[in-house]
Parts: sequence; structure tokens; C-alpha cells
Amino acid sequence: MRKDQSLGEYLRAQGVSRRGFLKFCSATASIMALPPTAVAQVVEALASARRPSVIWLSFQECTGCTESLTRSHAPTLESLIFDAISLDYHHTLQAAAGYGAEAARLAAMEENAGKYLLVVDGSIPAGNNGYSTIAGISNLEMLKETAANAFAIIAVGTCAAFGGLPHADPNPTGAVSVSDIITDKPIINVSGCPPIPVVITGVLAHFLTFGTIPKLDELGRPAAFFGQNIHDRCYRRPFYERGQFAETFDDEGARKGWCLYKLGCKGPTTYNACATLKWNEGTSFPIQSGHGCIGCSEPNFWDKGGFYNPLSAGMWGSRDALLGAAAAGAALGVGSAIAARRRQKKAQGTEI
Amino acid sequence: MSTLDVIPVNTEILTGNVEPLLHEVRHALRRLANGGDGTVIDLQSLPLAPGEEGRIEELLGKGEVRAELDALGPSVVQETSYPGVWLVTHRNTEQAVVGRFIEVTHMPELLKSQQADIERGISRLEHQLEN
Amino acid sequence: MTLLDFARGPGLQWSLTIMIVGLCWRVVGVFLGRWRKDLSRPRSDALVQGGLRAIITRSAPAPELEKNIRWQHLTGYVWHIGFFMTVLLYQPHIAFFKSILGFGWPGLPSHLVVIPAAITLAVVVMLTIRRMIHPVMRAITTSDDYISLIVIILALVTGLMAYAHMGLRYETMLALHFISVELLFIWTPFSKLAHMIFWLLSRYRIGTYFERKGVKA
Repeated sequence: MRKDQSLGEYLRAQGVSRRGFLKFCSATASIMALPPTAVAQVVEALASARRPSVIWLSFQECTGCTESLTRSHAPTLESLIFDAISLDYHHTLQAAAGYGAEAARLAAMEENAGKYLLVVDGSIPAGNNGYSTIAGISNLEMLKETAANAFAIIAVGTCAAFGGLPHADPNPTGAVSVSDIITDKPIINVSGCPPIPVVITGVLAHFLTFGTIPKLDELGRPAAFFGQNIHDRCYRRPFYERGQFAETFDDEGARKGWCLYKLGCKGPTTYNACATLKWNEGTSFPIQSGHGCIGCSEPNFWDKGGFYNPLSAGMWGSRDALLGAAAAGAALGVGSAIAARRRQKKAQGTEI
Repeated sequence: MSTLDVIPVNTEILTGNVEPLLHEVRHALRRLANGGDGTVIDLQSLPLAPGEEGRIEELLGKGEVRAELDALGPSVVQETSYPGVWLVTHRNTEQAVVGRFIEVTHMPELLKSQQADIERGISRLEHQLEN
Repeated sequence: MTLLDFARGPGLQWSLTIMIVGLCWRVVGVFLGRWRKDLSRPRSDALVQGGLRAIITRSAPAPELEKNIRWQHLTGYVWHIGFFMTVLLYQPHIAFFKSILGFGWPGLPSHLVVIPAAITLAVVVMLTIRRMIHPVMRAITTSDDYISLIVIILALVTGLMAYAHMGLRYETMLALHFISVELLFIWTPFSKLAHMIFWLLSRYRIGTYFERKGVKA
């Protein structure tokens, strides 16, 4: 797609009819969780949308977020939106490597100063700059350098948004999130491990359509996708209300599709779109497949006391410590009894 | 793959959203019949249990008109057994569903030929006639 | 660390520790204190039976007093029974106990437990108000009573609000519920709430004491 083409012109040049474009827009509006009444606005905006430059930096990550987004190699809605952006730098997807790739990144940054979108996946090791480097440049350096002239930053995945897996106790690399480093640019946290692909493209589509950051919740996540918790949209909720829980995997309750609260489901405290948008283009999501939600779009989800520990149970330091407490209490009791007896003897003057 | 078939799939769980949805359709139809605007309902925006979407399709039934589109992948526009209620299913070239809507209208917008496409068609026809 | 992480983690650990230390301290201290030697001749030697019998007979007021305090008698039982039903028969609570004790037990359908919980809350609030208005009650009520009632009411209110997903975001309400229960744990050994352990010991003691004197208590 030529850089000066609008998205509408690009699709027309690809042989997409106006009817096809309308279909594309209504599906895109659906992805953005916009009501059908907003489709007309989406049509108008996307027809004349310019192609934004996007630089994608990958730090301490597993590439799962990129995989989530680019699974299919035939044109899907997601890839069309992806095509609509000018992806000027991406480790996994770009053909260039080495100095050539870095030169392309710097050229894109200069050409589009103040206007390019920076997408980051993976956490940044603040413990030691040598833990993760690209072309000899530390992640910290590269992030600061590239963020300086970006319009906005999209932190894709829980690692970039909140630190993710590398940040889990004891955090050996000192991993931090993008928002811990950059404080002077708008940051959209698209969390999830990985995020649902349509959520990533939904944010890009919002940017293409409106040219602005979508409304964010207090953790910086797009409210359209992270506004509801899983529990409130879960189809197994009636079982929760009735107190019908699966006690173990593959017991009778599990086979009947009962609530997975007792098996550690973190649905009630997790905000994401899994229960409505689902995964693999609406096929299923963890709870539907019989495993409780692990809360992967929340900060520190690895350190919430275990995936199979129910929310109503404590995150135990040590149960044995309670026995120790009983012993300590008894000892205190003995001590105070002795002191009391001495006082009484003294007061009464006789041994009774 | 026979061992996978042994795993039972429970399709009896309900969200209870089917009936309210049908009521919404009823209200929209009444509005349309009284000269008001059409309504579009995005089925993907509602939490539905596995099997409930099929139930909705079953309840709405099939009407007299079925249109198949081929634009950025196949789409089907099916008038249900209730005239004015259309079920629109958009798929991409991988056959995956990218949009599911219930349109309460006289004629879904997508079925009409679009002005921009007509203009381009005229140029093509003129070009063909010249040759 | 979020509020919920604190509530489920160190908050829970420490509050339970304090409660156990406190209760063991008091119970052991009571047992090891000096007991006045009773030099009279025992009128009965069925002391243990007397003690055990008192645990049961003292579950209701003496017949002579009943007609005056039937109201307190009934409401007291209603809210205690409702409280135990709520705490012990709600499945997420059972999962909590299972994580401490290692075993659970069958519970009620969750949406039915709301009924005893709501009734308990209503009765406790009503009794508290009565305690604040009635001149005799007001005269004999101490800060210990008020604080004990407040921690109970807080636990019930936050629990019901969390269940109904009312008020603040769910994870905050859940954290507040945990914390209100932790306040209850900490307050228990040092207040009248310790009666949850002492009721058995006190009644037994009264029973053996009176049995020895030949009185059916």
C-alpha cells in the first residue's frame, strides 16, 4: 500500500468493492465493540484514513503476542487491518536484519516524528541492561529512544503492560513494564497472555478510525474490551449462583460444565473480553474448555497464590505457622498464669 | 480422532439471553412496521452459551429469501421466517465468522448495489464497449 | 501488592495468628490460674455429667425469666443460627475452611444462603439500634459491645455487597470483606467475642460448681 493512499483507496486498488468495504467496516465496528449505529461513522473514517507508521519493539517476550495476532497467513480481518498500517519495524515479520533493520527503524522514526505508533511487547529488564539487548542496544535505551517522538505507545501483552511472567516473584531480571519507564506519552495497555487478537486489532482499528486513544480504564486498558470482568459475562454463572461447582477436573460436575470457582478460577477479579469475544475467532475460551481463568490480563497474575487456589482461600504463607501460634499463645498463657498466681499469693498472703 | 468424540460436550447451559433478544427483535419489527427506522443487532456483542446461537437461528427459522455474497469472503443474508428479520453472517476467506447480525429492515443495505461500485462498473462497461 | 493480595496474604496470616495466640493465651491462662479450693462436702459426685448438662440447659433462659426476655431469646438464636448458616454453608466459605483445615463439607445452593445472611444482618442491626435506644440497654452497654457489633455487621455487609457485586469493583469488595473478617479475628480474643470459645468452658464450670453443691443448674 502506498503511503499516501487512504485505506479506502488501498482496498479499492486491491479489488475490494464498496459492498466489500461496508462488510469490512461493520465487522471492524463489531471488533471495536461499537454499536451497529456507529458503522456509518466507521465507514466515513476508514474510507479516508491515512496509513500510520508503526514501529514494533520486542523486548523480554515469548513472541506469543505476535503469534496471537498473525496466526493466519490468509487474508483475515485482522491481517487487513494490519496491512492498513505501515509496519516499519518488527523482528519476527520483517525481512531485513542487522544494521539494515536498525537503519530502517531510525529512518521511520525520523520521517514520521511525532506521528508514529510505538507497539511494545515484552518487559524491560531494569535490573541489568545487559539481560536483553538488540543490536547491542539495551531494551531500556531503545525504548526511551524510540518513545521520544512517538505519538502513542501500545503495550501489547501483560509483559509490556504490567511486567508479566518475567516480573513474577523473585523477578531475577528486575523486569518492569513500559509505563514504569515512559511517563510522558499516552500508553494503551492491551494486556493478556496473550491478548485476544481482535483486541489488538480493535485498538489499531480505533486509531485508524478516530485517530485517538480509546477510552482507558484505571490500569490503562481499553475500557471497551477490559470493562467487564469474566465472571459477569461467563455463561457458567448460573451454576455459580446455584452453588454447583466442579470439585476436581473430570468429576461429574466438571463433565456437566459446572462453575470452576473451586478449581481456582480467577474470573471474578479478571477483566478481559474472553467470555464474549472468545478465542480462535469465537471458538471457545479457557472456562468453556473446562479450565478456570488464570487472570492473565491482570498485573502479577502469576503471584496470586496459585492458579488452582480458589479466590476465597487465603494465599498461605505457612499453615504450620498457625500451630506455632497456638504454641506461642499457650506459652503466653502459662506465663500470665504464673504471674497472676504470684500476685494472688502475695495479695492473700497464704497458700490456699 | 475418535477419542476426542468420547468427550461429552454440554450444550444445555443457558445464559437466558435468547428470550430477551427475541423480544428486542419483536419491538424492532413493530417499530419498522409503524414506519420507523430499521435496527441492527450485533450477535457477537451478547454473551451466548455454546448452542444458544444455534437455538436463535432455529427459533427464527428460514424465510423465502437467501442471498450469498462473495466480497472479502462469503457472506450469507437470510430472511428468517419472520419477514423483515434478516440474519446476516459474514465470513472471511478462511471461512471464519467475522460478523453476525440480526437486521430488522425492509432490505439490508449490503444487498443493494452501491453507488461507488456502479460508477466503477459504468467505466468498465464503457471501456469494454470501446474495444 | 493490591488490597486483595494483602487481604488474602499477610492480612489473613497475621490476623489468624493473633486470634490463635490470643485465644490460647486466655484459655490456658484461665485454666492455670488459681482455683479456690472448695472445702465443703460435695453433694454429688456426678460432676462431669452436671457440667455437660449445663451446656444444654443453659441454652435457654430459666423458665421464670423466659416470659420477660422471650424476644431477646428468640432474636438471639435467629441471628446466631443465621450467622452460622452463612459462614459454614456457603460454598466459597467452605473452600476457605478447606484451605486451612484440609477438609470441607457439603453446602447449600449459593443463592439460598443469601436469605439467612440478609435476615442475620437485619436482626443484628435492629438489635443494635434497640441497644442504643433502650435506656436500660444503653446503660449497660460498653464500647466492647459496640465494637463487637460493628465488626460483625461489617463482615455481613461487605459479604453481601461482594456477593451481589454491589458497591465498588468486585476485587475491592472482596478485599474489604476479607479485611473485615480479619478485624473480627483480631478483635475476638480481647473482647466479648471470645465467648465463642468460652461459652462451652463457662457453662461446664457453672454446671460442675452447682452440681457439687447439689443444685441442678
